[in-house]
Amino acid sequence: MKKHLRASIAVLVVAILTAACGSTTPSASPGASTAASPAAPVTLQFASFAWQKATVDAHNKIVSDWNAAHPNITVKIVTIDVNSVHDKLLTTFQGGTAADIVHDESADIGGFSGQGFLADLTPLIPAELKSDIPQGIWDTVTFGGKITGVPTILQTYSVFVNKKMLADAGVTLPTAASPWTWDKFSQVSKQLTTGDRFGVGWGLKSPAATVMSMSLNFDGKFFYNEGGKNVVKFGTAEQQVLKRIYDMAYADKSLSPTTLGQSGPEILPGFFAGKYAMIVGGNYVAQQMVEQAPAGFDWAMLPLLKGDTQAQSANPQTLSISTQSKNPKEAMQFIAYYMQANNLASVAIGDWLIPVSASAGKAVTTITGGKNSWDVNVASAPSLKIAPFQTLEAYAQWKTQIAQPGFQQYLANKIDLATLGTQLIDGWTKVGGK
Amino acid sequence: MTAAVATRGRESIRRIRAGPLFFLLPALVPVVLFSVLPLIEGIYLGFTDAKAGLNVDLAPNFLDNYIRLLSNDLFWQSFQIGIIWAVTTTFLQYVLGLGLSILMEQRLRFLWIVRILALVPWAIPPVIVAIMWRLVYQPDIGLLNQALRGVGIPIGELNWLADFNTAFPAVIVVGAWAGMAQTTVALTAGLKGIPIELHEAAASDGATAWQRFRHITWPQLRPVTDAIVSLNFIWNFNSFGLVYVLTEGGPGAKTMVPALFAYNEGFKYGHFGYAAAMGNVMVLVVLALLYIYLRSGRRGVE
Amino acid sequence: MIHRRSRQATALQYIALLGFIAFLSFPLLWMLSTSFKGPRELVALIPSLIPVSPTLENYGTAFGEQDLVQSASNSLRLSLGNAMLTVLVALPAAYGLARFASILRRLTMGWILVSQIFPLILIIIPLFLILKTLRLLDSLSGLLIVYLVWSLPFTLWMLQTYVKAIPIELEEAASIDGAGRLRILRSIILPLLAPGIVVAALFAFISGWNEFFFALVVLQSQEHFTLPLTLARFIGSEGVVRLGPLAAASLIATLPSLVFFAIIQRHLRSGLLAGGVKG
Repeated sequence: MKKHLRASIAVLVVAILTAACGSTTPSASPGASTAASPAAPVTLQFASFAWQKATVDAHNKIVSDWNAAHPNITVKIVTIDVNSVHDKLLTTFQGGTAADIVHDESADIGGFSGQGFLADLTPLIPAELKSDIPQGIWDTVTFGGKITGVPTILQTYSVFVNKKMLADAGVTLPTAASPWTWDKFSQVSKQLTTGDRFGVGWGLKSPAATVMSMSLNFDGKFFYNEGGKNVVKFGTAEQQVLKRIYDMAYADKSLSPTTLGQSGPEILPGFFAGKYAMIVGGNYVAQQMVEQAPAGFDWAMLPLLKGDTQAQSANPQTLSISTQSKNPKEAMQFIAYYMQANNLASVAIGDWLIPVSASAGKAVTTITGGKNSWDVNVASAPSLKIAPFQTLEAYAQWKTQIAQPGFQQYLANKIDLATLGTQLIDGWTKVGGK
Repeated sequence: MTAAVATRGRESIRRIRAGPLFFLLPALVPVVLFSVLPLIEGIYLGFTDAKAGLNVDLAPNFLDNYIRLLSNDLFWQSFQIGIIWAVTTTFLQYVLGLGLSILMEQRLRFLWIVRILALVPWAIPPVIVAIMWRLVYQPDIGLLNQALRGVGIPIGELNWLADFNTAFPAVIVVGAWAGMAQTTVALTAGLKGIPIELHEAAASDGATAWQRFRHITWPQLRPVTDAIVSLNFIWNFNSFGLVYVLTEGGPGAKTMVPALFAYNEGFKYGHFGYAAAMGNVMVLVVLALLYIYLRSGRRGVE
Repeated sequence: MIHRRSRQATALQYIALLGFIAFLSFPLLWMLSTSFKGPRELVALIPSLIPVSPTLENYGTAFGEQDLVQSASNSLRLSLGNAMLTVLVALPAAYGLARFASILRRLTMGWILVSQIFPLILIIIPLFLILKTLRLLDSLSGLLIVYLVWSLPFTLWMLQTYVKAIPIELEEAASIDGAGRLRILRSIILPLLAPGIVVAALFAFISGWNEFFFALVVLQSQEHFTLPLTLARFIGSEGVVRLGPLAAASLIATLPSLVFFAIIQRHLRSGLLAGGVKG
């Protein structure tokens, strides 16, 4: 009996191993052709982290349309987990198996550019593409004087309102021409706070990105170049956004302190149930509004809040070409095709984000008819520009180790503004920032 | 058996045997290739200035990383968190696992339900475990607060994972829950190895259940206990996937365990050498702690 | 019956049992409940256990959008393969470690400890490069070997402990009676090791089934993806999670393991001797 058992186990093991071996595909090296003849067929690997169904469909359509029109240049999509992009890219870069076209975001490609993994695209970018995108956005993908990524779509931090609650309280909505200031926002929030609801809910579990971006409203740059060295300052400009949020939560009591410890999506049940009249979140939350709000829930996304300006930092998704790619020219041809107005528009709509190019913005407005606050979205694009911290090498470490815990402590009322300032400034030296 | 016969038995075994190498051979080659070699490289990197980058040269900088590490108070903060986390979680896992295994040896009805459920934490992919518990801990729609409100406790809107006081304990509970299964399995197998005659003899001598546990079960379980507690301690100290999804190390770095810290250093900021140095320090300290634990155990039993 | 339990002891035991059942079962219930809820119901402020308007769309999405069946099949083959290979390799090695004191045993214990303590993520790149040289990238067999090697420390340690628990007098007695080494192993050691083998097999199966990071790094083509990678497709960025399809897919990902466990449990109970050592 035991002998039979062992024999059958052995057979099973061999079967499993051969089955597993049978499905082995040798890892394809990016760009399989020789560079000699331009007519030789080329395969490009396009590593993308798109995960939304609509975006994945858009990508598939773009790629299949391209492959049909370009029999000599075949693009193959490689799926990457959206929450492990950096790890996966770093491993493939270091391991020498990187894809030709790499999908990432500008906040992340600074590091890879410095490490030499991304090709300089400056000579390759077609002129029409260059002029279609504002210079302020190109700045966010320029590192050490070289452009290492083509920006595609980006987000803003916006206020969403429960229109009925505002109407009942007699509050008129802002328009693009006259957006709300922070003061007005704070005042409306107080007005809308009653016994059983807060004026605002704000999911700031990970506050660093939001604070750093929105502080540009008051020109709070945090990083200043003094005589060739970069230093952190925490002056009145930098303190504005943080202090206003703090005051709304603890002085006015119009901002729910509980939400300060929750993430954006986590405060939605409360919003839909009427616990907060307004919420602040990424503009892509509009998707949740459309897909999950109870029937008859009347919502709207407001034009960007205004401090001194409406500026926020731009952190677009990017398409880069890896230095290890053997076919950078063909890769750029595909990227240019991807960036065509209707193609980029379909990607933007799929991800509920704003396209960077003016032509794609127009296409989005046409396709969506401006509904679901797409009109507000597209109109926000010009306010997005580069912030100083985006090009600093040690910023990622300062953000994770110093800014994030510091902001969390301040917003949880554990430390005061002065202590936070000291932590931020000293922290920059600690992480070796220069 | 007389002494002479026993000796002859031992000699005959030694004669037949083919040597330890024969038994270890199949394991040796893949282990060396896919574990020993990368480990040696990883440990070596801790003595260099290795950084992420294309065609970057690395140079040994011997103890520089460690000297820098000595004054890195953020690292030591997370190290402290790691020790407390590992000790507490391991302890909870053991207590819960032991309780469950002993319970499963009793004569009760519906045991088959808990026999399968005991392995549920193992069967669910870790990231799903984290997401589920994140939902449980939510201040408004979370199961925990709803249950507490249901029995009349005025918990309000306590945000377990964001409150500076409750985040760490909350994460520990999840760690214990997730790790219970392997402890239960290992202890169940250990319990089954205890000869029932020992229990029968003791019971007929009038020993109570507690006495039987203290003098028979516990000593017999000692080797398995040592093994599973050591392994759990090591795994808990090293785990960061769970913590990452629950809190990302927050709030205010209150749950920043050292493995997450080293991961950030190596992968996020690209400081491979420095991160490897942290790994080496973790190995030394954990080995020292385990040595102390296993040593004390041995003295206690004898 | 050796034990005569008081009524109180029994009651306490049942309370403990109930506690454990509740503590361990709520995730399954949650998964079951959530998988039948539509997106609007998932943001309800007071969630109810029974879906108010149940729907099958999540299962449709789970199966339709991602190739769940292919991933499940990949994971199944990987995990079963890992379970069998690990036991086959670890069993003789554990015996060798337990019975023979040698320099190899010290080295092995040292390796077991260091390989478990040194953060795995820090050796991922050296490992990646080795796999690349051996052309094992983007293949399930490459992943299988990695899983085997990384399941060995736990299984070796545990099995070795269980082997040590078997008194050597048993083997010596049998050898005196004229039994050869192999016979001793097969008819004496193996049956007594049954619980330990179960532990090893369960551990190896689950390690292969749930492992994410190695799979993420080694695999590339979507047809090779294992279940954890496919599940991750329902988890978006910025905390946005497609809870409905995720719950449905998780249920499908969890059930095979539970079935495997149930089968092994049955063997565990029936294949065992009443006690340990035979007098």
